[in-house]
Amino acid sequence: MQKQLQQLARRLLTDKKADVLIGYGLMENNRVGAVFITDPDESDRLIWNDRCAQNLVVYLTRPEVKKLGKAAVVVKGCDAKAVVVLANEGQIVRENVVVIGMVCDQVKDAQGKSCARCEICVDHVASNVDELIGEESSVASPALARTERFTKGKFEKLAKLRVMPADERLAWWKTELSRCVRCYACRQSCPLCYCNVCVADKNRPIRIETSATLSGNFAWNILRAFHLAGRCVGCGACTAACPAGIDLDLLNLTLVEAAEKDFGHIAGVEPGALPLIGTFSEDDKEDFIQ
Amino acid sequence: MSRIITLENLSRLAADFAKTGTLVAPVMAENGRCFYQRLAVEQIDRAIFSGKTKAANSIKEFFFPRHELLCSFVRTGNDVELTDAPEFTTPQLILGCRPCEAAALPILDPVFGWDYQDRFFQARREKSIVVSIACTEADGDCFCSALDGSPENRAGADAILYELPDGAFEVRTVSEKGIALFDGRTSEGEHTGKACEPPQKTFDAEKVRVWLDGHFDDLFWASQTLACVGCGACTMVCPTCHCFDIVDEGSFLKGRRVKNWDFCQSALFTLHASGHNPRADQAARQRQRIMHKFSIYPEKFGCVLCTGCGNCSRHCPAALGVKPLLERLEKMKDA
Repeated sequence: MQKQLQQLARRLLTDKKADVLIGYGLMENNRVGAVFITDPDESDRLIWNDRCAQNLVVYLTRPEVKKLGKAAVVVKGCDAKAVVVLANEGQIVRENVVVIGMVCDQVKDAQGKSCARCEICVDHVASNVDELIGEESSVASPALARTERFTKGKFEKLAKLRVMPADERLAWWKTELSRCVRCYACRQSCPLCYCNVCVADKNRPIRIETSATLSGNFAWNILRAFHLAGRCVGCGACTAACPAGIDLDLLNLTLVEAAEKDFGHIAGVEPGALPLIGTFSEDDKEDFIQ
Repeated sequence: MSRIITLENLSRLAADFAKTGTLVAPVMAENGRCFYQRLAVEQIDRAIFSGKTKAANSIKEFFFPRHELLCSFVRTGNDVELTDAPEFTTPQLILGCRPCEAAALPILDPVFGWDYQDRFFQARREKSIVVSIACTEADGDCFCSALDGSPENRAGADAILYELPDGAFEVRTVSEKGIALFDGRTSEGEHTGKACEPPQKTFDAEKVRVWLDGHFDDLFWASQTLACVGCGACTMVCPTCHCFDIVDEGSFLKGRRVKNWDFCQSALFTLHASGHNPRADQAARQRQRIMHKFSIYPEKFGCVLCTGCGNCSRHCPAALGVKPLLERLEKMKDA
């Protein structure tokens, strides 16, 4: 697959189908990170393996990357959904991006552990991509029906958390969120946190306490989760980026589950879909809108 | 001949200290990461005394907290009543940190005691005893040897412990504070402990400093920092990054003035009220972080603002950090 990817990259760059190819490469410190290939002769720097965990879609909206011209981006099934949401929300012109999907079994995090999100993955084969590399038959993980995943892995952990008595659950979250240092790695690594000015950065007046105290940290993390309601595609980039190891997935998956079960909305699977929050229907049960 | 302390006696020392003082030690959290954290007497058995642990935070937060009260105010009519933050008076023991964490403290002293004397930082320094454990394992992110450090660097430590094969530690005291702490707690022994081999030196900090002068607009910055997502994880886990923001919280009538960590990787850090931002892109912000550490700080205070701990790389969501960047720089200079 790596060879195929390199060949494809060379072709796209040579034929000027893309000016920059955003893919994975091996860093000096033996970690896997993003590389930005503009010269077709550098295509061999691209790699593909189970350590390609970062969601590279985050770079599509960065001003520094946009300056390089038309982008091609390497995505896994989970990442690909973020491209769909970005296009649906008018943040990118889909035709101006070449999306290269990699069939993915599962990836490991920076610590070398299996990514917990892969346990509930139903997107081993990326959808809505322009090029697809790999065969579905190469996926060893058992195929999971979309509804089946709610009882597995992270969702199972979430379900256990939900049945805890409220005070115990609050104590659990207090311990987790007390570690938040407000570095905003969650926000910066998220492909869908693309606001030029985040509400957390508003300082005239301050909207969200910048203090890394329980009140400031609860305000920030809950606010971010709500801003991603019906939008989060569940790629796990925020959790992977958190230097304190806070399981932010649990906040976001709560809303993913609510969006899917209560509103039948799955973010990032349908190009052209209207955003769940931000649109209304005449059948809405609340009457204030009519 | 060496001075030896058994693990049992070390735990007892920690417990005795925690009765009247604040004990900080590395602990494995439920989420599988190790953190330096305050431990009460009954929690001492959670501490991990090892030459291997790489914590996900830095001990700097016990000297320069991520959130600190400076004063509080109450306004009545035209009067404002100000109350100072309480003085830091409780003795503090940092037990079992990495030598590169301890080494950051003397590097930070000058900046907190230069024109303005930061009494908050200084009181904590004065009241604290720092005991490190010599490293027994360097990982791929470690680069202390490029910065005159080593797996048994004594800078900033009052004593350094060496793991012994039987689970005990050899104690080498460095300062009067260290001698007093271990007084009567050790016994004479035959064995001496050993640190691991230092990580390979992959760049020269002095050469970096020389290169930085005159390469402010070099293409290196824009081309090599594209992957940076602009979060502050590197600065938060860094034992030497020390930027802060002073904020008033509360209401017009009642509130507090606090000091919170801030970070140069955010666009907001340098955003002017006019809307102009002198560091307009991420390349400029990465350049600032490297320049501050390897050029500005050494010129002002005579030491590099980095101990080579590698925390920045370990926690970078984009696999960047000081070491990979400076190795790239070294390679490009050679080319």
